Amino acid sequence: MASKKKAAKTDKMSGKKRVYYKKVVYDGGEFEVGDDVYVKRREDANSDDEIPELEECRVCFKAGKAVMVECDDCLGGFHLKCLKPPLKVVPEGDWICGFCEARKLGREVQLPRPPPGKKLARTLRDKLLSSDLWAAHIESIWKEADDSYWFRGQWYTIPEETSAGRQPHNLRRELYQTNDFADIEMESIIRHCYVMNPKEYAKAHDEGDDIFMCEYEYDIQWHSFKRLADIDNGDEEGDDSDIDEDWKSSKDAESDTDEDVEYEEEKVKNLQSRASSAHELAANSRKGKFFGLQKIGTKRIPEHVRCHKQTELEKAKAALVLAKLPKSLPCRNKEMEEISAFVKGAICDNQCLGRCLYIHGVPGTGKTMSVLAVMRNLKSEVDAGSIRPYCFVDVNGLKLASPENIYRVIYEALTGHRVSWKKALHLLNERFSEGKRNGKEDDRPCILLIDELDLLVTRNQSVLYNILDWPTKPHSKLIVIGIANTMDLPEKLLPRISSRIDAFEKQAIEFASRKVAAISGDARRALEICRRAAEIADYHIKKLSSNHNPAPEGKGLVGMSAVEAAIHEMFQAPHIQVMRSCSKLSKIFLAAMVYELYKTGMAETSFEKLAMTVSCICTSNAEAFPGWDILLKVGCMLGESRIILCEPGARHSLQKLQLNFPSDDVSFALKDSKEIPWLAKYL
Amino acid sequence: MGIENLAEKAQILIRSRLCSPNFIFKPLSDSSDSNYSKLKFIISSSIMEACNNSILLLGPRGSGKVAVLELVLSDLLEEYPDTITVIRLNGLLHSEDNSALKEIARQLCMEHHLLFSKMASFDDNSQFMIAMLRECGLAHKTVIFTLDEFDLFAQGKQRLLYSLLDAMQTVTSQAVVVGVSCRLDADQLLEKRVRSRFSHRKLLFLPPSKEDVQRLLEHILSLPMDSSLACDYAAEFNEKLQSILADKRFKEIISNYLNSNSTTNHLLRFLFIAISNMELKSGFLSLENFKAALSSIQRHPKQECIKDCSILELYILVCMKRLEVREQNSYNFSSVMKEYKSVHDSFPTSDYYAQNVCLRAFEHLLQRELICFTDNRGHSQSIEFRQVKLVVSYAELQEGLKSPFF
Repeated sequence: MASKKKAAKTDKMSGKKRVYYKKVVYDGGEFEVGDDVYVKRREDANSDDEIPELEECRVCFKAGKAVMVECDDCLGGFHLKCLKPPLKVVPEGDWICGFCEARKLGREVQLPRPPPGKKLARTLRDKLLSSDLWAAHIESIWKEADDSYWFRGQWYTIPEETSAGRQPHNLRRELYQTNDFADIEMESIIRHCYVMNPKEYAKAHDEGDDIFMCEYEYDIQWHSFKRLADIDNGDEEGDDSDIDEDWKSSKDAESDTDEDVEYEEEKVKNLQSRASSAHELAANSRKGKFFGLQKIGTKRIPEHVRCHKQTELEKAKAALVLAKLPKSLPCRNKEMEEISAFVKGAICDNQCLGRCLYIHGVPGTGKTMSVLAVMRNLKSEVDAGSIRPYCFVDVNGLKLASPENIYRVIYEALTGHRVSWKKALHLLNERFSEGKRNGKEDDRPCILLIDELDLLVTRNQSVLYNILDWPTKPHSKLIVIGIANTMDLPEKLLPRISSRIDAFEKQAIEFASRKVAAISGDARRALEICRRAAEIADYHIKKLSSNHNPAPEGKGLVGMSAVEAAIHEMFQAPHIQVMRSCSKLSKIFLAAMVYELYKTGMAETSFEKLAMTVSCICTSNAEAFPGWDILLKVGCMLGESRIILCEPGARHSLQKLQLNFPSDDVSFALKDSKEIPWLAKYL
Repeated sequence: MGIENLAEKAQILIRSRLCSPNFIFKPLSDSSDSNYSKLKFIISSSIMEACNNSILLLGPRGSGKVAVLELVLSDLLEEYPDTITVIRLNGLLHSEDNSALKEIARQLCMEHHLLFSKMASFDDNSQFMIAMLRECGLAHKTVIFTLDEFDLFAQGKQRLLYSLLDAMQTVTSQAVVVGVSCRLDADQLLEKRVRSRFSHRKLLFLPPSKEDVQRLLEHILSLPMDSSLACDYAAEFNEKLQSILADKRFKEIISNYLNSNSTTNHLLRFLFIAISNMELKSGFLSLENFKAALSSIQRHPKQECIKDCSILELYILVCMKRLEVREQNSYNFSSVMKEYKSVHDSFPTSDYYAQNVCLRAFEHLLQRELICFTDNRGHSQSIEFRQVKLVVSYAELQEGLKSPFF
């Protein structure tokens, strides 16, 4: 075994200890932490069989260099020229070979037999998918004391080996990541394979035969599936992945002790996990982490999430979800530049004096989002090495149990220790105002982002004072960014919304954003209106197609009517509709209140006066007076839905009443009631 | 099988129908503008398309908000087993943020068979909830929060609503928050930061129209022809029912009853009494049953209270009324006693009661809430010297005095 290590390691480590590596060249192949590899299943697996690098054509059984196309169903390879009829180019999209097509139609299929004397060679991919091989993800690589190389692998599994079995929506090349780990000798590695997430997989064309797709994690203990978390923000991290690379390789140069520590930590973790299996820990009491979350996965992956072909409207709705942060903030460029200039100026300053920044604006105008975007950009710059590292603490005022708790949260974020808030205040004071620091970690500048700053106001304002006072101290190295909302009306919502969607008519978006800008200027609301409008349009189309024949395609645009309905729903109080449809006595009651208001000119009236008015109205219109007690109940019902404001019903005739809406609204609602036409006289 | 036996069975069947919201609201849910199908569309689209949503169900009490919601939830639980977690909170029980978050954590733990700790702090629970939302999102599971009496959650700093709605727009989860409230201005109560994060979908529940009531009555009261009940009995029952429903007097009773409150729940309560009044001997419903139900449900508690008063108590009430008519707005027991004496002097009768007897009668009136103290201050003072006021109005008092005794 000719092996050489790439990372320069010293000989003094060859004693008893394991030596960890980032990258190892073993048996001619270069293996790195994070790679995926094929692993032999048994020691005696006929490894002597020559493993074909290239797949053979299913028709002519020659590997050859000619272009081959792969069937999406049986994964067999075919030379373009061997097909009947021959193809000129590799077809776009899914392609299914003639044999599979015939089999689907229910015909008996005779596959071409290999020429005598030649076995159909199976590729590694074939072996893996028929569970004759394993695949694993390398977590760490080390050299044992006896000079043998080992790695810790996280197993992949094929759909057939899960409890749910292969499901109809599984792709042929799909694997699941498991939470099962094992220490494996490097000896048993065959060669690399490439497991990709769905986005990469969709882009992959020519990567060869050893690519697989992995979207889910499979829990071997609970037999459940869960999506891999990093897929969702994969596209964001994709941009600075090469920067990550630099960081990794530079880490190799660091001292060995560092890695020993890592090893110790791992050991501790193992101990912890063992302890947790012995005594089950409560899920919600967080001592560093939550226990038992792995139980949550689904038993089966629901079919609708995999093979759901989205319509244009559904795509628009998905794009409008508030959780989706847009890639760019079209109308906040100026502000973002200012923020990043401020932060950079504060960090890069040699003395690093403390500074404060206060950002304000009405809710939903993108304050927090701009700051977070700036911080993301800065982080990538730190990774690239152009800015000194700093620590970033993010606190939300509304999520604190009490304003004083902020000290505890800050201290925990900085050091990872949990102490009471008084102790934390003391320690933070020491650190920021007296400049006492214990360790080089602490020497970094610290950026403190406080969202909803106005909630930290206490009676003597000590919390706000402390936090805004620290940056003024000479050695604090603290930068505070406070966010709160006050009256400040922004406009220009239009570009931000239309940057997200294309299923809307042009005027419809303009209408929605103008409406919102006129009322509150809240971007969240504008987005919600558009989403609701898309929902309404979708609802109508789906109902139509379920009732009649499928609706004509291409008519799936959100029009003005849908947007208007959404705006109506959001801003219109539903009281007029309720007044129109409420019971007869309630209508008379309301009419009497309006009458009383006109007569006396006073907004407030008592139940006694009102009841007299009602009885007058009833007798003069030949209507039976229902009695005081029933009338009281009617009044309380109206009070419950806040159409009128009233005192508790126990006060009976002393109860005070007042209309909650303008009397014109009541008149408008009741004027043309068919049931009691005479009511209009009193309005 | 005797007719009584059959009638008892029919009675049990109809009563069980009245008590199951599923039966009542199912037939109203077919059409595309019904709240049922709208609500179901919103929730199921957030299951299918993995997005977050928040909805408010508004409408007067008894209009079937929770019933329709439960109907939708039970249908969805059947349609997508294992993927839905329903967290139920009630404003009357959990309006305090700390206890509400604890309850959410508890129910999440229960649903996913995790161990729950009572000791966890507010922070722990809120971070646990966010972690759970993320994990559930990754596992394609939907969490539905139903907040009954939504207006009561909108008190104080609204930390719960803020952390719920904020989590829903930062974490890639699939969660639906359904608020149920009888206050039409429930969304106006939200603090501006919370309101900005709320999706503002509103569904309005209105009382049924006249035609709907007619259909509902027929749907509930008519017996099925293909059940264990004898076929000819059911046919006869339905025939009699049809004649009652068509009767003008019956329509009058119903409209008289629904005049005060036309919600579904109110109607059901009336029908329950009517069904319970059904005579088992004859075995069929009659108009009298409904009449009796109407008179037993439309009570006038204050009026009856006055009628039940003793003569001395009525004396006191009348005296108080006389004082109030004379615009003497602040008076207490002693001044009432003075008035009593003067009344008695001008219209002498054989029975004049001593002051301590009158005080006892006065206390009775206080307990029955026919009179009350004007303010809550002065608890230390004895009853005689605290200011009082009439709770019933003059008209009611006059009505009460018309009883056959006098």
